[in-house]
Amino acid sequence: MRDTVMEYETSKVLKFAREGKRVDGRALDEMREITIETGMSENAEGSTIVTLGKTKIIAGLKVDIGKPYPDNQDEGSISIGAETLPLAHPDYESGRPSADEVELARVVDRGLRESKAIDFKKLCITKGEAVWVGFLDFYALNGDGNLFDAGSIAALVTFNNAKLPKLDKEGKIILHEYDGKIKLARQPLLTTFAKVGGKIMLDPTYLEEKASDARYSAATTDDGFISAMQKGVGGSFTLEEVDYMIDKAFEIGDKIRKQIKQVK
Amino acid sequence: MKKVVIPGEILFEERKRLGSNVFVSDGKIYSKVLGITDNENETATVVPLQGPYVPRRDDSVVGVITRENFAGYGVNINSFNECFIPKSAMRTPLSLGDVIIAKVSNVSELKEADLTFPKRMGDGEVISVNPVRSPRLIGKNGSMLDILSQGTDCEVFIGKNGRLWARNGDLELLKKTVKFIEENSYKSNLTNAVESLLRK
Amino acid sequence: MDRKIDYKKTKKRLDGRKMDETRPLSIKTGVIENADGSAYLEWGQNKIYAAVYGPREVLPKHSADPLRSVIKVEYRMTSFSVPQRKRPGPNRRDQEISKVLGEALSRAVFVEQFPNTEIGVYVEVVDANAGSRVACLTAASVALADAGMPMRDMVAATGVGKAYGELVIDLNKDEEDAPDAVDIPIAILPNSEEIVLLQMDGLLTRKEWDAIAKLGIKGCKQVYEIQKKALVEKFELSEAKGKSQVAKEKTVKKKTVKKTVKKVKK
Repeated sequence: MRDTVMEYETSKVLKFAREGKRVDGRALDEMREITIETGMSENAEGSTIVTLGKTKIIAGLKVDIGKPYPDNQDEGSISIGAETLPLAHPDYESGRPSADEVELARVVDRGLRESKAIDFKKLCITKGEAVWVGFLDFYALNGDGNLFDAGSIAALVTFNNAKLPKLDKEGKIILHEYDGKIKLARQPLLTTFAKVGGKIMLDPTYLEEKASDARYSAATTDDGFISAMQKGVGGSFTLEEVDYMIDKAFEIGDKIRKQIKQVK
Repeated sequence: MKKVVIPGEILFEERKRLGSNVFVSDGKIYSKVLGITDNENETATVVPLQGPYVPRRDDSVVGVITRENFAGYGVNINSFNECFIPKSAMRTPLSLGDVIIAKVSNVSELKEADLTFPKRMGDGEVISVNPVRSPRLIGKNGSMLDILSQGTDCEVFIGKNGRLWARNGDLELLKKTVKFIEENSYKSNLTNAVESLLRK
Repeated sequence: MDRKIDYKKTKKRLDGRKMDETRPLSIKTGVIENADGSAYLEWGQNKIYAAVYGPREVLPKHSADPLRSVIKVEYRMTSFSVPQRKRPGPNRRDQEISKVLGEALSRAVFVEQFPNTEIGVYVEVVDANAGSRVACLTAASVALADAGMPMRDMVAATGVGKAYGELVIDLNKDEEDAPDAVDIPIAILPNSEEIVLLQMDGLLTRKEWDAIAKLGIKGCKQVYEIQKKALVEKFELSEAKGKSQVAKEKTVKKKTVKKTVKKVKK
């Protein structure tokens, strides 16, 4: 779709915001529709496609055997990467990871890691010698804002459904055979807001992000913890606004967790 | 008979008058684009279903101001080149995001368009449509445009560049109807369908 | 792989296919909303997204050609698309494939219609099992047509070659790993049978090549039919539906909604 130009569209977003409205007709605290699909990549140990309105991303997990870090002899590890492919939006560029991509990956990573949802000790195969090393990478296939929440949903669902490879007698991975899963202790999810024309908007679109002064994400868990926060972009929030967003993040997080539970 | 054809699909093995979006190779006529052809037509021609806007002389276009320097303004007309209008052409200064209508006075070899008669449009809304399907929004001698503006009470201006500007009236109904025309542009009985859609 | 496998004896391939049988191929257009044209393709286990952006301004400006549009292809694989995790970022193989795919597509598109511009073609492999470059070229060509680009023809591609003693079409990974494997990605413009992509590695006799070339062109033409179907099927040349029909559909919908509400109340 060839769209009208940014300068015009963002001014429209701001005009609507001043009246407490959004261009797509959503309420300020309304999430776009989410769809979740799993298992499309046979070579991945887990894969998920999430759509959030027009935003569409794919996440996949590769698990390999690695050496543990010297200071954590009995712990495996995970790492999360994010790419905004030029395939997904005319403004996305290829090349080295941009600061935006690094921030995106790190915030999704922290929400999951710091919630202690994954017990790294359970990723140990042989103490001091072999551990599971998980690489989760997610890619935007169509970018329309809030890659944070879409990425967070995709990462959580992928880990929920991931299979661990089966090992032969010598401790080598048998291709396409699996044995066991990664059990998650809790279900952390990011919820992201943008401040546009002084109004707080849940789940911002690309244009709303472009028109925004500030962004805020909080990762909440199903058992009442906040596991990560990130404020972004130049503007600011009052403490009241942050408190409001945290409450909202728990409410929205619980809703999405219910939907995730249905995913096979 | 009407038929959907793809690029490189053979239309005629024999000679025929050539229309648009076709090419000849070894004496045979092929389609250049994904589009619709009618083999009962006098000329071999294909109406495209998708495609970019390529400016032509005398096109009326809806532009958006995207840049300003001391001499004038950069205007986005949904083409792959930015256009320029000098400040002297405008009575009042423009700002970024402003919408104008203008006429294409000339197109260079590089498909760069010169604009004349720029006019700033006040409060209103720009609706994007598939540029190759926008002729159906105007219709023969503006017939569809009349139906649209009367049926929605909107003041409507349709640019050839896949952009429509409108104000007043029932904008939501207009957007819905425009989308309907865009999605059904290649189907028969379109005028009747639109009329019944707008009937109160 | 097992050296004892001999297709001359088995008459069937490891996955049960005949020698001249391609893996199941399906293509869908319009899958990436932001793009000017797009396609999703499944070819055996291969799964590929292709998107086209343009024609648009070339950046940096000095790489523009005042006589034609530059087709810029980026072939990439997700890290999880292969059994052994692929490091992010393009490697030398990705760069070479991007180059030859771009050159193949440039012959098909009337690039002189959009001077000084670029047409960005992005292909992303999300699951791979041999033959991803021909799958990408096939998908990219459909995405270009979906974007309304003027083209002299589609580009249809396939893998062809030799495995376990027989000439075969569309090799899978097990066959690519055969001791005598020869893999030849080939692409043609179906009308003229012009060859626009041709690569090969392995050992082949002159006679085998003759047979393989025929097999490859035949395979490309089968691919072309599926490309055509994917592009045409979206457009149904029926009558546009007016208010009366739409209204009818709406009342039907409303009725069903009411019914479900009642059920919930009970």
